[in-house]
Amino acid sequence: MISSIKKLVKDFSLGELRAGMKITAKELVNKKITVQYPEEKTPISPRFRGLHALRRYPNGEERCIACKLCEAVCPANAITIESEMRDDGTRRTTQYDIDLFKCIFCGFCEEACPVDAIVETQIFEYAFVDSREGSIMDKAHLLEVGDKNEKMINQTKLEDSKYT
Amino acid sequence: MADIEIEIDGNIINAKAGEMLIAVTDREGISVPRFCYHKKLSIAANCRMCLVDVEGAPKPQPACSTPISDGMKIHTQNDKAKASQKAVMEFLLINHPLDCPICDQGGECELQDVAMDHGSDVSRFTEGKRIVADSDIGALIQTDMTRCIHCTRCVRFGAEVAGIMEMGGTGRGEDMKIEPFLAEGIQSELSGNMIDVCPVGALTSKPFRYELRSWQMNAVSNVARHDLVGSNIYTQTYKGRVKRIVAKDNESVNETWISDRDRFSYEGLSHENRLLVPKIKVEGAWQEVEWNVALDFAVRGLEKNVRQADQLGALSSNTATLEEFYLLQKILRGTGSENIDHRLNVKDIDNTISLESNIKLAGLEGVDHALVIGSNLRLEQPMINHRLRKASLSGASIDVINAMAFDFNYRINSENIIAPNQTALTLASILKSVLKSAHTEVPEYLGNAEVTEIATQLANQLTDSDNSVIILGEHVINNPQALSISNLISEIAQKTNSTILNVSATANSMAAGLAHFVPGKGGLDVNAMLAANLNAYILLDIYPQYDFHHSVQAIEALSNDDTFVISLNSFKDDVVSEYSDVLLPIASFYETSGSHVNVEGKVQSFTAAVNAPSDAKPAWKVLKVLADLLELPGFHYADSMQVTSEIMHKSYKQHVHDENIDITVKRGVNVIWQKSPYAVDVLSRHAVSLQDTKIGQINSASMNKATAKKLEITQGDNYLGVPVSISESVANSCVFVNANHAIRGQS
Repeated sequence: MISSIKKLVKDFSLGELRAGMKITAKELVNKKITVQYPEEKTPISPRFRGLHALRRYPNGEERCIACKLCEAVCPANAITIESEMRDDGTRRTTQYDIDLFKCIFCGFCEEACPVDAIVETQIFEYAFVDSREGSIMDKAHLLEVGDKNEKMINQTKLEDSKYT
Repeated sequence: MADIEIEIDGNIINAKAGEMLIAVTDREGISVPRFCYHKKLSIAANCRMCLVDVEGAPKPQPACSTPISDGMKIHTQNDKAKASQKAVMEFLLINHPLDCPICDQGGECELQDVAMDHGSDVSRFTEGKRIVADSDIGALIQTDMTRCIHCTRCVRFGAEVAGIMEMGGTGRGEDMKIEPFLAEGIQSELSGNMIDVCPVGALTSKPFRYELRSWQMNAVSNVARHDLVGSNIYTQTYKGRVKRIVAKDNESVNETWISDRDRFSYEGLSHENRLLVPKIKVEGAWQEVEWNVALDFAVRGLEKNVRQADQLGALSSNTATLEEFYLLQKILRGTGSENIDHRLNVKDIDNTISLESNIKLAGLEGVDHALVIGSNLRLEQPMINHRLRKASLSGASIDVINAMAFDFNYRINSENIIAPNQTALTLASILKSVLKSAHTEVPEYLGNAEVTEIATQLANQLTDSDNSVIILGEHVINNPQALSISNLISEIAQKTNSTILNVSATANSMAAGLAHFVPGKGGLDVNAMLAANLNAYILLDIYPQYDFHHSVQAIEALSNDDTFVISLNSFKDDVVSEYSDVLLPIASFYETSGSHVNVEGKVQSFTAAVNAPSDAKPAWKVLKVLADLLELPGFHYADSMQVTSEIMHKSYKQHVHDENIDITVKRGVNVIWQKSPYAVDVLSRHAVSLQDTKIGQINSASMNKATAKKLEITQGDNYLGVPVSISESVANSCVFVNANHAIRGQS
């Protein structure tokens, strides 16, 4: 009996509306957190795991030595590597493919790599729409991503190194 | 030795007194880390990895060199044992490079495994590591000697098993190196086993270098068909291709070892010369067609050309499987023809060897005397030679009757270099000496034979030993008195209570016998077939310039315009395409299921490790479909095992020769024609790395000065297309040809 009278009073005095308007009024003066993507972007952790890249040494030699540990550790079987002996006697890949449809971005490949060749960059805008093949990053493509973003990769790895 | 009780980690275990501790723990499945210990090699105890705690001993003891005694209490896992294992591991890793990611042994490395179990996770060693320069030791083995941990398994393998001490340790301490003594590199025919025994990545397979990691491959048990042993192997495959071959243990066949020919011949499988698509010849031009078109063409060709059943002939190479032999002869016999043969390299079928072996391979190492006749056993039958070497090491005396001095890797009691045309006479005098010393009557046919001193010696060796074997090799098959030699040997063996090992027909030719792949009543043998100008042939993996003794005549006979030739081949060949009318691509080694029959008659079946490339099909399937198209009854096989079991339910009587013995010396120069060891079959001929080895390059017609003078040739000339090498190690009036390429001119 008493509770139904209370409800009646609250309903007729627009109680809920007032509560809602109070939040609206508060947010009206508060600092906005909405980001105008793609013009604006949210900050990304240095440990963010985005698009893969193959890195080179400063002298231009590719780092990857075809040890296939990333291929072995990959839980999604997304990596395919073929290797051979290059003319100078070193062990190199002839094929290094990552299927981004299969990849679950766990970062195990990066962790397994003994020479820091395969890394996951902060790039996450890499939509592929054309075909199934478009999802497969081949060696040239991966090296290209590495070459273009070496500065960023270096920076993020440096930032993250404190915590590893 | 008496049974005793010992206690390992608190468990009571029965063992034989005097056994090494590590042998007991291995048998009981207790893991003890080790590097230098190998069950087939002598004990070196130099790696110290297998230290265990023996109660009562002040220091930990190496399990590999600690003989057990009654009541011994051993701890393999207590703190003392673990601490010493960890300390040894740390020492071994001081100079071992951290290059596992690029090392081919990575993933199957004993050092890696043991370091995971017993090593510490962080190295305390901050000084520089040792680097050792590599030496090129040949086309088969890749060295990375910086990785070597000086376990000396390869050194002991060379000294104890291969019989050629090629690797050795030089220098001491920090400067110690394991390296080949000679700059020419490793030349043993068993060298590949060093790769298997090496516990680290110091010795790895050169053809396989950097191709794959061990975890990427599937291992399929298989049987190598290159020789009379049928060594058990694992074919390691990746994406439908054979990538590597390693030995599989089988005490009764190949123990732990395999020959280089078995290990590296797989390279030929991916050779560009593989025949991949069925082809038919229409008006002289080759057309690539579908299987059904090719088979229809073959069947129509047979129907058109074979007006009488006996106008069809079937020939096969010796590398075919038991099932292939059986199906091909069944087709021929189904159509009513008995013209079936596989003895292509025999000059005269009526005058050749037919001896049955009656000794097991494992029994060979228990003999106390062996007489080897006409064989370069080490290169021709490496695993049989290995057994004989073991016998020799445990005291057996080995006598040899050969036309040329060969390099045996054990001590030879008496090496007799005897011209081929004298071999029968020599054996006759041995038999006469045997009979005389037994005071039995000497038969008439031995009348002319003079009992020489050598013959008496050889005879006495045979009679005096309890367990002797006579080994008859390939060089005798085309001897002018091969049949007499064969009969004399069975007489000698019978009189001296010796066993016989016939290694004169190699590869899978024992299977041909089991499948009755020889002419039946009224049938023609290979040479008669070629002379008779048959109208049609079915040829199974034949390359005439290599396979036939009468290769020129064979090519001529097959090239006749009115001869219809169906060739089932695994490799392309110009001569084959010249005379064939249909070319059917078939699976090669490891691509087909089937069976191998080894010299002791053991039938070993295997499955296909990979599919044949492109359109090639296993020959047994091709033959089955061919039979169906010919509307022959009884070819309802779903798999090759059904064929095998059908064969096993039949038995054929062996072809019995008459007891004709003729010991008169035939004058003239005798040619012993042998394919060189790595050219024996089409697959090894296409294995690039094998051909790059010293053995692969053997290509010479050896003769002594007198013979050269008689033939009017000198060093530098060619004889039968093979470079002449003049050497006094060859018997008089004899040319020993060891050719590694096609021969077109032989007589």
